[in-house]
Formats: sequence, structure tokens, C-alpha cells
Amino acid sequence: MQPPDDNNARLTQEPVQPLPMAASAMRLPKTRQSLPSDSHPLARSESSLPPLPIRDRRSTPSAAASLFRSTLTPPGSRSASPASSIARSPARMSMTGSVFGSIGGGTAGSRQQQSQSLLDTAAAGDPGDPLHLMLRSFVPHIAIHASEDVDGLVREKGFEGGLWELLRPFGERVQGKVTIRDSNGAARTWEDFAVRFVRFGEGVEEPDPLVGVGNANGQTASGAVKKPDMLAQVETVVERHLRFAEEAYVGSVASPPMTPTRLGVDTDATSPYYALYLRRLLSGIPLACHESFAHPVACVMAISSRNPSPIEALQKLYRETSQGERRLPPWVDGDYLRYYILVHDEENGDITMSMALFEQMKRNLGLHCHLLRLRSTQSAETDDDSIPLPRSDWMTAAEELADIEASDTREDFEDPTRYIFESDATAIRTFVREMVIQSVIPTMERNISVWNDQVASRRRGISGRFMSLSKRWAFGSSSRSSSGGASGSSNNYDALGFYRADTPEAIMRRLADFAFMLRDWKLAMSTYDLLRGDFQNDKAWKYHASANEMAALALLIMPQNMSSKTRLETINQMLEQAFYSYHIRCNSLYGAVRCTVLALELLRLRGGSGIDEAVRWGVRVMESKLMGPMGDALLKERMAVCYASKQGAGSQAWGSRRRKSALWSVLSAEAWIAQAKYVQARRCLDEARSMYALLPGECGVQNFAVASDFLAQLNDQLKTGLRADAAGEGERTVEEQGGEPELLMVDEESETLGSRRSRRTSLIAPVGGAAGLETAPLNDTKPARLPEDERGTPTTDGFG
Amino acid sequence: MSYYFAIIGTQDNPLFEYEFGTSKQGGDGQARFNEQARHLNQFILHSSLDIVEEVQWTNGQLYLKVIDRFFTNYISCFMTGGNVKFLLLHQPTATAGGASSSRNSTSVGANPTSPQTEEAIKNFFTEVYENYVKAIMSPFYKVNMEIRSPVFRQRVAAAGRKYL
Repeated sequence: MQPPDDNNARLTQEPVQPLPMAASAMRLPKTRQSLPSDSHPLARSESSLPPLPIRDRRSTPSAAASLFRSTLTPPGSRSASPASSIARSPARMSMTGSVFGSIGGGTAGSRQQQSQSLLDTAAAGDPGDPLHLMLRSFVPHIAIHASEDVDGLVREKGFEGGLWELLRPFGERVQGKVTIRDSNGAARTWEDFAVRFVRFGEGVEEPDPLVGVGNANGQTASGAVKKPDMLAQVETVVERHLRFAEEAYVGSVASPPMTPTRLGVDTDATSPYYALYLRRLLSGIPLACHESFAHPVACVMAISSRNPSPIEALQKLYRETSQGERRLPPWVDGDYLRYYILVHDEENGDITMSMALFEQMKRNLGLHCHLLRLRSTQSAETDDDSIPLPRSDWMTAAEELADIEASDTREDFEDPTRYIFESDATAIRTFVREMVIQSVIPTMERNISVWNDQVASRRRGISGRFMSLSKRWAFGSSSRSSSGGASGSSNNYDALGFYRADTPEAIMRRLADFAFMLRDWKLAMSTYDLLRGDFQNDKAWKYHASANEMAALALLIMPQNMSSKTRLETINQMLEQAFYSYHIRCNSLYGAVRCTVLALELLRLRGGSGIDEAVRWGVRVMESKLMGPMGDALLKERMAVCYASKQGAGSQAWGSRRRKSALWSVLSAEAWIAQAKYVQARRCLDEARSMYALLPGECGVQNFAVASDFLAQLNDQLKTGLRADAAGEGERTVEEQGGEPELLMVDEESETLGSRRSRRTSLIAPVGGAAGLETAPLNDTKPARLPEDERGTPTTDGFG
Repeated sequence: MSYYFAIIGTQDNPLFEYEFGTSKQGGDGQARFNEQARHLNQFILHSSLDIVEEVQWTNGQLYLKVIDRFFTNYISCFMTGGNVKFLLLHQPTATAGGASSSRNSTSVGANPTSPQTEEAIKNFFTEVYENYVKAIMSPFYKVNMEIRSPVFRQRVAAAGRKYL
């Protein structure tokens, strides 16, 4: 047995290994086609190559294909910024081998990892990775409120949704570096800052009306309307993507060089479908009272040069946001930043007049103004300087579903890809960057420091610790409670069923959320921690759940110096409370799923015994039957990945979880077959098989009669399924169909039936030769897997 | 309560498998595993070898108690010399478990991690171990060979009836 320290040292010297998709690291995908990177045209200032013409790649209609692009292209290639590969620090390798890790509380390597923030690990830079997705989803929301004439102008450019639709993709990555100061004044620069543009006043989720308490102001009366089930929508979207992939696979069988990228994709860190599931889960954070992530941090008010009376129009817009029917509900702070833009029509407008108007705006409205110069004609693909505007990565499940359904039902469904002029794109990029850097972030920083001084620090003081916020305030300023109409009540929550935006609890919550969005984990964590107790005392369960959830997430991300045991216990406790409050007390399945899924991903990244915890939470979600069949299968697949990412120690890989990982792969294959998703199932089954092949005995469950029968049976189902798919697809390709699927199946068959020797060669040996060569264009970290393979092979004949 | 007992050799190969049910509280000694999920027993048992390999270094005992859990299946482990493991998967019956736990929560099987259950399983393992050692003393037995002796099977069954 090798001393753990040695082992870790060795691990850290090795090149970085990206997270394997279960066993895929050790496996050569049978067909791989490298794909020119579909780069994000907005993330880069120089003009980019036009993206792949997807329509040429498949036999399916092009319009529909572009709807499913998010899972077709390997996520890794999406924004292949050089930074992400540099950021892959060696820390990743210290995922602890924990025969020893779990006993001794961590080897040197694991300690090193614990003492740094998760953001410094490689995962944060990988676009498909859940941590990255999480960072991208809890971002400042900016509402857009445009006048009629602006929307008219943008509609002429071909964007039906108005200015919001045009701006949205640009918010997903703010160009350049963004520097943020934390509460201690230390500046930190981020490459990947993002904001989310939303339509003003959209997605409001009314708080659950309190039982037995009259509606104080009629606000909650409409809250009883059944909102569409978000989880179900997410499931449906993923299902549609899978169905499309399945059909595309079958359609592409005819022409081997056109094999879908599916087989190439599975070496990527995260299954694209799981990433999609997470993204859709996180993309529509409702404007709810119990968390302020979706509350607007700023509101963009836009008028255009076409407007005959621009100043009046601006006033009207302002009035609409602050009073009247479209005003935001009382739990949203009305004091958000107002940002005014003047959209100048480059083709029909007079620039001198616009400039004059803009000067006037600046004089009257202060510095938060911008002159946005856009061309008003529609750009076509064939234009010289047109670039495609990608569909938003963060559209909500409902939107995507609507698009997909439209493409199904309407014959004349057109490609939703829009093109804009390069000059427009540059203008918008500049606008977004300027707004974020000069207005949004400074405002947030200022708010944080003000709230931190005025509200939170009192609470943190000696006297504050003994008394909850509500009590102090009820004594201090009794006039405040008159607005609620229930001055007799002892806390701010009881009267209304939510905290009004001016209550200290709501301000604290906003403070914590702002800190979280600006990645000041320490401040966020300590504030959430204070709030947890308050909300529990007030029995504000949804608030309580959410505060616990975010506290746990912040604690998981931030650098750790607690011993791993205490840390895990604290985190578990928080998650436990969050889960219970969401699931049982509030019956909010969405909250429960979001909380556990995010937590399990972060736990997984923490490595060591965190991985076992992660799986425990995954099982918990399955036991509670929170997800539909689709989510269930994805989660099972994810469990396999979790276990696979646990590194063993020594040549026998003690403490690794290969058998477990294989078990979950089998389970997910079973789940996929039950839903007739054979391509996915085959992938999972392959994972399981190669995991079993890596075991010391090299025979997996072969000696267990019933189990191996079951595996064979699954394999049969898979084959018939794939064959039926292929047969059903089209007669036009009859003779060629024999080619590829047969080939693959024969390969599989020989894997099951063949001797150990042959399996080993087929699975392991080619990797060394081919991996570097074939995958290099896709991802420059691929060769790093070789050491893992080399380590894998000698284990096969050591011990038994 | 249903039990699935297996002896696992050094190459993850099962040397002996036996399914039985509880004989306490009027049980008839028949295993009541879900027929559709029967294969899962083997998968689960196999997968918990990962945990065994980790836990076996943590204490000096041969009996490792409940080492793993998969939904409602609990795995107990007993190490023997030569890296052969006894694994017992126990699964409380969903309906009967609820009824009997309200009546007598200390009974073996109602609560898979209770000290009583642990003790009972320990007794079972110890008795099986003695018989196992005698069984492999057979001059015709070689390492990692399947144990086919009907006498051994009977004795395991008897131990199961006696303790579980």
C-alpha cells in the first residue's frame, strides 16, 4: 500500500484531467467526428466565422435543428476561451482518494483543495459544468422596459420580442473583464460575468396566501392561480431534445461520415442533456418573494429617436415602473437603478438631433444614460457584415417548449436564427459592458456596503445576536408597521405572508443575494446564516428554505478551513432543513430539486467523502420522487459520474467507487430503455461495461448469474430498439443501414461474450494511440487522460 | 424482511448464494424480493464491495456491521481470512415492516441498524463462518471455487432460521 501523501503528490504532478463522463475517459468512442467550434459570436470582439450550417449536417429540417443546437454541439467547444484551459489548475487532481481521506480527515492534497474556493478549480471555467451553470444563473437581473417606438424599431429588424429579445444574448457574457470589489475592498477580476435581461414585470410568482390571515391589501388574491409546473416543462424540453437526437441518429445512420456528434460528445465533462436540464431548471428563476435573485437590479428604459416627444415618453416609462398597475409587487424593492437609453435609428434618424436629445437626457437624468445606435433594417444571412445572433442559452423551459411546438405544428416554421449587423453587435456589446461596469456593479457594491453598515452590522453586533430583527424594529420604529396594517403582530412576516421590501429581513436577504451575485461568498454566507434563524423564528418557511439553500451553496463554494467533518455536517444540516422546508412545508418541488441538485454537484466537486454525500442527496431526490422519468434517468446517469469521479488510492484504487458507478450506469440504461431512448441507453451501458472492465477482477458482474443475465437482456432490448428505430425511419436507406448499426452491435456483442483479453484490448489499448490525435481539435485537455489509462492497465493483473 | 446472503471470492466472484426470509414473528422463511428487481440484489451486493474495500481497513473487527445502503436495502459485511467476504443484504418488507415496527420496534428486522439486528446478524455470520471454514477444509476445495456442498447450504439455512 502506498502512502497517501506520495500518491497525492504524484497526482498533482500529472496533467490535469477533466472530469470523466463516468468511464468514458478510458474509452475510445467508436466514431468521433471533430466539430469546428461553434463559437459564441458575442463573446468575442473580433468578427467570428459563421457557425456551422447545421442544415447541411443532417437530413432533418434545418429550422428544427437549430432549435436543438444546444445539445448538438459539444458544450466544451462553445466558448473555448483560452482562459478556461489555463484556469484548469492542478487542484482538480487532488480529489482525494479516501480510503484514507474519510478516516484521517484529509490528506495534504485534499486539504489544499478545501482551502481554496471552488471557483479556482477547473470546473468553473468549463461551460457545461454545473458549477459554471450555477454561476451563470444566479446573476443580476436587469429588467427592460421599452417604449412602443423602440419595440417597433427592433421589430423591423426581425425581433418579434422587441428590445429584450435583441439584448438578451448579449447579457450572457459581458465582454472583457469585470472587476468587483468585495465587502473588504479587495478587488477581484472575473472573465465570465453575466447579466440576465428580463422583460419588466414578467415571471412574478405570488407568495402562497397565509391560511387564516386576511389579505391585507388584496395583493395575494390572485396568488391562487395554478402556475404551470416548471419541472414538468423542463422534463418535456429535455425529452424533446432527446427525441430529436434519437431521430437524428437514425437519420444519420445512412451516411457514416455524417454520424451525429453524439458519440463524440460523451467524452465531455457533462452530458449535454443533464446540462440542458440544469440550465432550464435554473433559467426561469421566478420573481418570488422569498429570494431576490430575480428581482431587478436595474431597469433599462428605452426610447428611440423616432419618438416625437422623447422626454414625456421617458417620464411615462418611469411612472409605469414606479406606480400604477404594472408596478412590481410590494416585496420587490422599488429603488432599483434606472438606466435610460436612447436608441438611435442609424438609417432614418438624424444623428445631430439624437445627440442633442442625448445631451438633454444626460443633463436631466444623470449619468445612467446611453446612446445606442442601431440600424433599423433587417440583416440577412447573405449580407457581408451580418453575424448570427445565437438563441439565448438561458431561455426558459416554457419559451423553448413553445418554439419546439411551433416547429412541430406549423409547416412554414422558419429558422429562428436571426442575423444582425456587425456594427449593431458591437454597439450593443459596448452598451452592455458600459452599463454593467459603470452603473450596475457600482450600484450593487454601494448597496451592499450601505445595507451591510446599516442593517446587517447591527445584527451582527452583540445585542443583535440576542434579538431577531423584527423585534428590534417593532420597538424602534413603530410607524413602520403601520403600512402593513397589522401593528399588533410581533414580526414582519405574519401580517402579509411575505416581508415587505423595506423590512430589515428583506434588506438583509437582498444584501446576501447581491453578495452572492457578486461572488462575495463570505459575506453572503454569513448573512444567510443570520437570516436562517430569523426566518425560522418567524416560521417563514419558504424564506427559511431558501436561506438555508443559499447558505449551503455559498459555504460549499467558498474556501474552506474547517475540518472536513464539521463542514460536511453543517452543510448537511442546512441542506436537510432546506429540503424539508421546500418539500414538506411549502410543497415547492422546484425549490427542493434545485437545492439538492446544485448541492450535490458542489459536493461532488469537493471530492472525498463529499462524493458519497452527493450521491446520498441524489438518492434522496429519487426516493422522494420529485422528478419525472426523464429527470430520474438523468440523475441516475449523474450518480454514475459522481462515483466515477472519486479517485482511489494506490494501484488497487482503494476507495474508488467503480462498481457503484457501474451500477448506476446500468440503472440509468434501464431507465432510458424504459423510455425508448436507445442512444442514451447504449451510452450508459457502454459506460457500465468499461467500468466493470477496469475492476481488478476484470469480470464485473459476469459471475453473478442473474445480474449478467439482466445485462444481456438489456443489451438485447437495446439492439432490438435501435434496429426498430432504424427500420422505422425510412426505406430509402435500406442497404446502407446494415453498415453502421450492425458494426456497432457486433462490437458490443463481442464485448459481452468475448474473453477478457479481447475486451481489454478493445477498450483500453486504442485509447493511448488515438485519443490525443482525434480529440485534440475538440479540447486541448484530452491527452491528459492518458496517465489515467496507464494507471488503469497495470491494475488489471496485480492482486488477485 | 428478506435476506440475500452471498460469499464473495477474491475476484468479485460469488462462491455461494442463498436467499431466505425471516423466520421470526411468524415468518415462513421465504424471501419476498420483488420479482422484477431480483437482479438488483446481485448488482447492489457487488457494488457495495467498493465500500467493503474501503471500510475493511478502518477497524480491527471481522464483522463490519451495516456498511452500505441502497434505497431500502442494507448490506452487512463479515470479512474472513483470504479476502473472502460474507455479505448479507437485508431488505425490510415495506408493508410488514410498518406494521411490526409499531408493534415491536426492537424486533430483528424492523430496524436494520438497531443493536438487536446487528447482534443477530453477527451471530448468523459467526455460525456461518464456522461452517464455512469446515466446508473449505475439504481436500477437493480450491481457492475461489464455488461451494456446492449441500450440507453447507443446509447449515446456512439453519443458521438463518435460528437467528434471523
